[in-house]
Amino acid sequence: MKNKILNIKNLSKSYGAFKVTDEITIDLHFDEIHALIGPNGAGKSTLIKQIVGSVKHDIGSIILDQEDITDLSDVERAKIGISRTFQVSSIIPQFSAIDNIVLSLLDKSSKTFQMFKSVRNNKELYSNANKILKEIELFEKSDISASDLSHGDRRKLEVGLALAMDPKVFLFDEPMAGLDESGTKMMINLFKKIKSNSPILLIEHDMDAVFALADRVSVINYGKIVATGTVDEIRKNELVRDVYLGYEI
Amino acid sequence: MIVEKIFNKWILVFLFLIPVLGFIFEEPYYITLTTKVVILGIAGIGLNLALGYCGLISFGHAAFFGLGGYVTGILSFHALNSELIFSWPFVTSGSSEMLLIWPIVILSSAFLALIIGLLSLRTTGVYFIMITLAFAQMLYFFAISWPNYGGEDGLSIYMRNSLPIINTMDPLTFYFICLCWLLIVIFISAKLINSSFGMAFQAIKQNEERVKSVGIETFKVKLLVFVISGTITGLAGSLYTDLNRFISPSVLNWQMSGEIMVFVILGGIARLYGPLVGAAFFIVLEQTLGGYTENWQFWLGLILILEILYVRTGILSLFEKKLKYEK
Repeated sequence: MKNKILNIKNLSKSYGAFKVTDEITIDLHFDEIHALIGPNGAGKSTLIKQIVGSVKHDIGSIILDQEDITDLSDVERAKIGISRTFQVSSIIPQFSAIDNIVLSLLDKSSKTFQMFKSVRNNKELYSNANKILKEIELFEKSDISASDLSHGDRRKLEVGLALAMDPKVFLFDEPMAGLDESGTKMMINLFKKIKSNSPILLIEHDMDAVFALADRVSVINYGKIVATGTVDEIRKNELVRDVYLGYEI
Repeated sequence: MIVEKIFNKWILVFLFLIPVLGFIFEEPYYITLTTKVVILGIAGIGLNLALGYCGLISFGHAAFFGLGGYVTGILSFHALNSELIFSWPFVTSGSSEMLLIWPIVILSSAFLALIIGLLSLRTTGVYFIMITLAFAQMLYFFAISWPNYGGEDGLSIYMRNSLPIINTMDPLTFYFICLCWLLIVIFISAKLINSSFGMAFQAIKQNEERVKSVGIETFKVKLLVFVISGTITGLAGSLYTDLNRFISPSVLNWQMSGEIMVFVILGGIARLYGPLVGAAFFIVLEQTLGGYTENWQFWLGLILILEILYVRTGILSLFEKKLKYEK
């Protein structure tokens, strides 16, 4: 138990007769990137939604850092340290890049309900936000409105929003989708660096990135975890080849 | 944006000039008219916080406007006939002191907004619009069927409520009292919008899901915005009763909610001075077109349609663009 920061047991969710997630048991160790792979519609994103609390599961339990968070709301879970990115970029479109990051810093610095001080004069918030922008290589674009950013830059901003929360765990839902080569490289380096602070549960379709990053990989199919292991174990696993990887690897 | 700021300064200059000119040329009617613009502007600025900046489309702000109006009317009515308003749980008598009436109006509007907000903010979209509308209509029918305070006929107060030293019955004096409130309300709104709280509620309008995921309690934020918004509109209602020395259930009707919404949309959603410009435009239309035809609102509707189709962000943005091209 002690080396597990996130522990998910028997998580299930059905829509009518259709089981989206079926008794999923998965955990996240300190210091690791745990990749979750599987074909489209296997239940990966639903699992993320259940962990962050935006979709309520039918049965099962979620334990974060030895605290049972099963009954907490989505906002409460975010506050105690679950930070996510969305599969489709979800940002504040009319805010500049840096304002997006500052918004993400508000809760940690207890500034949400500060009503009469100009937020833009808060040097501390903005210098912290600038640090994050440098990490995600968006520093030069800090004043550009988020809706005017390119797709790749929005993916980066999405990760930046999660980063700014300084959470206990990251849940990244296809952060590299649509990124160019240098963007992917940046993300890989960034993830390697931050995982020691907060481990990462990573959903990703880019297998090169998964194999470069993941300490462990779980394969999900029809809402069930069919295999968990190191990268090498998964590569060799025949069942996994059948359901997902195909034969070319 | 800077051009808009200059324009806003001009609005304030006009607000000082028009009534003063009205006074000099002995046309008190124009003072009353400008007072009405200022008061309705305050109501709109209140709604704009919720609707324009936080995306809470309240179709029930007449509830706050009317409550503020009725609280003022009832307090003043009892001050005049020196009957108690109620004797249980504590003895409460009327008052005609604005300095006492205002805090009571502020507290009661805030309380009403808290109750309505708690129940209606669980919903979004069309449901939110309908629930806020339903609450306002409840109050409307309550006011109609309550004979103690005039019922359908409304309630007249014979003297405007008073302030120490100042003579509030003088139109120009009362106008400047309202103008002071307008400046206070604009100041508070500007502070809020630029604060980190303002950042949170403006983000909620654009993407609430995201705001939740960064750990911000969006329900609390929305509730607080709704309470502040309702309180400001309630205060406007109080001034409106004093202006007319009359209050009737019609200010609680959904048409009032619609009109406040029209001020916001006409002037420009999420623009600080937008509702003020909208209210001014509305009153000017009412006065000019209203002189030619009873059905002047037909033309208002046409203008609204044209605006929404071609300008979208209100009169202020139209002006902003024009000035930019001139440069």
